[in-house]
Amino acid sequence: MLLERICTVTGGKVTYLPQQGSLDALVLAMQKAATIVISGPCYINTYPARLIELLETASQAGGFSGQKLYGIINGGMPYVHTHRHGLTCLQFFAEQNQIAWQGGFVLGGGAMLDGNPLEKHIGRKKVVPAFDLFVQHIIEGSSSPDSLYERAETAMGSIMTHFFARLLTFMVVRHIKKHGHDPDAPNWYLREQA
Amino acid sequence: MIAIVSDDGQEMVGAVLEEAVSHLDPQVVYFAANTMDIKPCAACASCSGKTYGRCVIQDDMQQVLPKIAGCRALVLVSPVVFGGVSHHIKKVMDRMAAVGNPRYRVSGGELVKGMSGQGMRYYMVGIGDHLGEAEQSAFCSLHAENKNIMSAKGKAFLLDSRLDQGLIHEIAREVTHE
Repeated sequence: MLLERICTVTGGKVTYLPQQGSLDALVLAMQKAATIVISGPCYINTYPARLIELLETASQAGGFSGQKLYGIINGGMPYVHTHRHGLTCLQFFAEQNQIAWQGGFVLGGGAMLDGNPLEKHIGRKKVVPAFDLFVQHIIEGSSSPDSLYERAETAMGSIMTHFFARLLTFMVVRHIKKHGHDPDAPNWYLREQA
Repeated sequence: MIAIVSDDGQEMVGAVLEEAVSHLDPQVVYFAANTMDIKPCAACASCSGKTYGRCVIQDDMQQVLPKIAGCRALVLVSPVVFGGVSHHIKKVMDRMAAVGNPRYRVSGGELVKGMSGQGMRYYMVGIGDHLGEAEQSAFCSLHAENKNIMSAKGKAFLLDSRLDQGLIHEIAREVTHE
């Protein structure tokens, strides 16, 4: 949805990362592009393995010369630092492959992977204008500063943090119980070994 | 038990580390992730619902997950790739959600989660020659964030292909330390 939002104003083309098989077609598309925008979810503090594999494959293939690269990483935890490594990873990929790193956008506080527009984001008042400014940088081909997404981070106070910890735990425990499991039982693999 | 999961290149760092650790603690298991059939996480969310605590992807990760669930120390060994880990090791990390604690809690004023095993220590060993300061720092910061989100203790280490035996033994002592 985030890339579609960018494409509506830039006229770019979205290419999806295949979850299996060859990555050669995608690497070729990256080599041919003048501007590349990589968007992905945050798994364990950075991009998922398949996206790392794409970067490794692209780096081995080479053939880059001055393309502009922007990145977006989107995760559940509301803190920028939790997800920031994804952009750092893209920056190293760019620097090691003659690609111009132009900055990125960290979007925490909820994954927008279910097709919802950014206007449904919990921090939309700050996030929507900041993301639109990020898109403007892509249109202009200019470098997007980290301060753009850092300012869009919604700081939760202590009371709200504890409230969300309880609320989210209540929701996941209810979900587990709904499927007939005991959330307090030892992990399934440990039970199998016993 | 100590679990070592490695993306082993020519230097076979994971195997070398397993050998060093085994002299201090015989309860050690070692997996060379780059030689195993481990598929990427499909983000199906089954491990947090329908098959709570269990990954439904039937591949070699089914041998690794029981060891991670039961270990007191997990050591991930990887070449440093773009300031992080290789995709072989990242596949293992992504699939570890199945043995994570689903509950949220507050630590240091922030929301965090944890692992199902109590008190698991978590180590990352990065391998690379001529790594710049920024890339070393990025690798260590990834470990620090992982450690934070897993509510674990542990350290990150960096090695080059000369495999300093002193540092290998230091890592072995650290991961076997109670």
